[in-house]
Amino acid sequence: MRLPRIFRTTTFRMTLLFLAVFAMSAAAFLFYAWFATAGEVTRRADAEITREMNSLEAVYRRGGADALNQALIERASGERPFLYLLLDKDGKRMTGSIAESPVDVPGPGETWASFSVTDIDMDGGEVKRPARGVQEQLEGGETLFVGADVGESRGFVSGIVNALWGAGALVILLGLAGGAIVSRNVSRQMAGLTDTVAAVRGGDLKARARIRGVQDEYDELAEGLNEMLDRLERSMGGLRHAGDAIAHDLRSPLTRLRARMEAALIEVEAGKGDPKQALVQALDDADGVLSTFNAVLAIARLQAAGQAPDQTHFDPGQLAADIAELYEPLCEDKGLDFKAELTPQLTVKAARPILTQALTNIIDNAIKYTPPGGAVMLRVRRRSSGEIEFSVTDTGPGVPEEHRARVVQRFVRLENSRSEPGSGLGLSLVAAVAEAHGGRLELDEGPGAYKGSGPGLRVALVLPRVE
Amino acid sequence: MRILIIEDDVEAAEAMVRGLSDNGYDCTHAADGELGLAAAQKRDFDVLIVDRMMPKLNGVQVVETLRREGDATPVLFLSAMGEVGDRVDGLKAGADDYLVKPYAFAELIARVEALSRRRETGAVATTLKVGDLEMNLIARTVHRGETEIDLQPREFQLLEFMMRHAGQSVTRTMLLEKVWEYHFDPQTNVIDVHISRLRSKIDKGFERQMLQTVRGAGYRLDP
Repeated sequence: MRLPRIFRTTTFRMTLLFLAVFAMSAAAFLFYAWFATAGEVTRRADAEITREMNSLEAVYRRGGADALNQALIERASGERPFLYLLLDKDGKRMTGSIAESPVDVPGPGETWASFSVTDIDMDGGEVKRPARGVQEQLEGGETLFVGADVGESRGFVSGIVNALWGAGALVILLGLAGGAIVSRNVSRQMAGLTDTVAAVRGGDLKARARIRGVQDEYDELAEGLNEMLDRLERSMGGLRHAGDAIAHDLRSPLTRLRARMEAALIEVEAGKGDPKQALVQALDDADGVLSTFNAVLAIARLQAAGQAPDQTHFDPGQLAADIAELYEPLCEDKGLDFKAELTPQLTVKAARPILTQALTNIIDNAIKYTPPGGAVMLRVRRRSSGEIEFSVTDTGPGVPEEHRARVVQRFVRLENSRSEPGSGLGLSLVAAVAEAHGGRLELDEGPGAYKGSGPGLRVALVLPRVE
Repeated sequence: MRILIIEDDVEAAEAMVRGLSDNGYDCTHAADGELGLAAAQKRDFDVLIVDRMMPKLNGVQVVETLRREGDATPVLFLSAMGEVGDRVDGLKAGADDYLVKPYAFAELIARVEALSRRRETGAVATTLKVGDLEMNLIARTVHRGETEIDLQPREFQLLEFMMRHAGQSVTRTMLLEKVWEYHFDPQTNVIDVHISRLRSKIDKGFERQMLQTVRGAGYRLDP
């Protein structure tokens, strides 16, 4: 038989453990309390008995056995009498309130004994009560026993002990109940998370844990779980999208390639036509397929790694200056006005090769889409937030605001750019690079109308500040 | 020129052997790392082309072993892995150049050519001379005949590379890698523009045009 769920939780097991520890300490405490009180009661009784014995001995020394006998008779009728027994030299009972001595084997001097006396209670029943006493040989040969009924004190002690037992039992009961309540509470908190995990395992990537907004450790865990799921969903979505996109973008060039090869084969078989043209075009198609494939792979690797590998600290202005030096002649050749505004002596932490590739992608794009007579500007600066911004501004047609988020996605190329070569992965790769550095890609409108073109585009790759 | 191709993909190796033989190279093929290492240890090759991923012994291990044995034969590494880390690993193992699959055949030929001639430049030269073009590496000046040619630092590096590989085809990717130290393919003809600027500086006004465009491959500096 399995225990109900609530008794199988960790919290409940912890409660049990604490209870066990508590019960053990309670037992130790109980034992000590009993030991201390019971011992004290016995000591006190013994002291009183000893005092009485001394006083009676004094009477005996002054007046002999007769005076003692007299005193015993008087004292036996006192308010809270001791128990007395006086025996003569031959061991015959002379006087006393008990029939015979509880001491079986009298030793020399004092002999202590614990015994019980039989009492008649109010209902006429017999009650045995614990008693204690001491026996001593007097100088004249008589034997004197003085005892006391300690039943009342013992009763007090056992009352305490019973109360402690009761309290212990109550504590354990309360503890069990408390444990059950706490673990039910914890279970209820965890249930939300467990349900979410189960739903995701069942294939529902949209399931999210509820956040109650009290900022406790469960909320923290739920937030962490949700964040993880968001990321997972994004990358799964990205993967699915990439799959579709690869299929879409690779299918057409592959189909074209196949058709060309087939046509060339037919022509060559028929003994007419030069296959060379077809082969050259086929090679171009193959290169296109490969570059798309490489870009997809690069993006996928960056996203899988989460963070760009081998990051180092370096001067972003220097990196941009090198790129500017590479591209400036190309701009000039295309009739574009090229300008670089590079803030010196900044520091970024990045994987230099892929950052370089991302920046050249942005500049490639800017040069490709800006008509002759336009301008391209490369800028590196530190934002007031401490972030490092690489930006490329051009005076080309720009990207309408409603499309800006979309062009960053993989493979998306706006319709009017279909005629330009390129895999359409440029900006998605840049976005992936930015993300792999904990940064982001921002697209804005450029400087506005410029020599018959515009409004232009401003692409900014923003990297986090270096601590 | 004798070339050893260590490559487990037999079809790819055959295509390579055919292409290189057509270009006047004497090729030997080894189909895995162990056979390749044994062949290379005979040391009668001018260039080794080593595939990175192979059964038994991988490319990095082959090159490392050879280098440990003091063999300095130029090695061109071939790999389907084009990531920065992979390239660094290959070069660290002792490879001299690295080519990512798939590659254009012209690229392979140009790289093999560059490697096979590397040995000939022994002593550290202070001047380079190709035809009537002369470069002083200390003073960092360039003359063509009597005319002094004023070059930007990068143009100087570009010309130096072309002069060191005079008579050979060099590809755009090689230039981007060796002169600019960038390891990616730009989408634009950015290298062509630099070459044409250099060309206008060294060839303009001269009858002989030294800096040639090689169709489908790249450029060549002729004496």
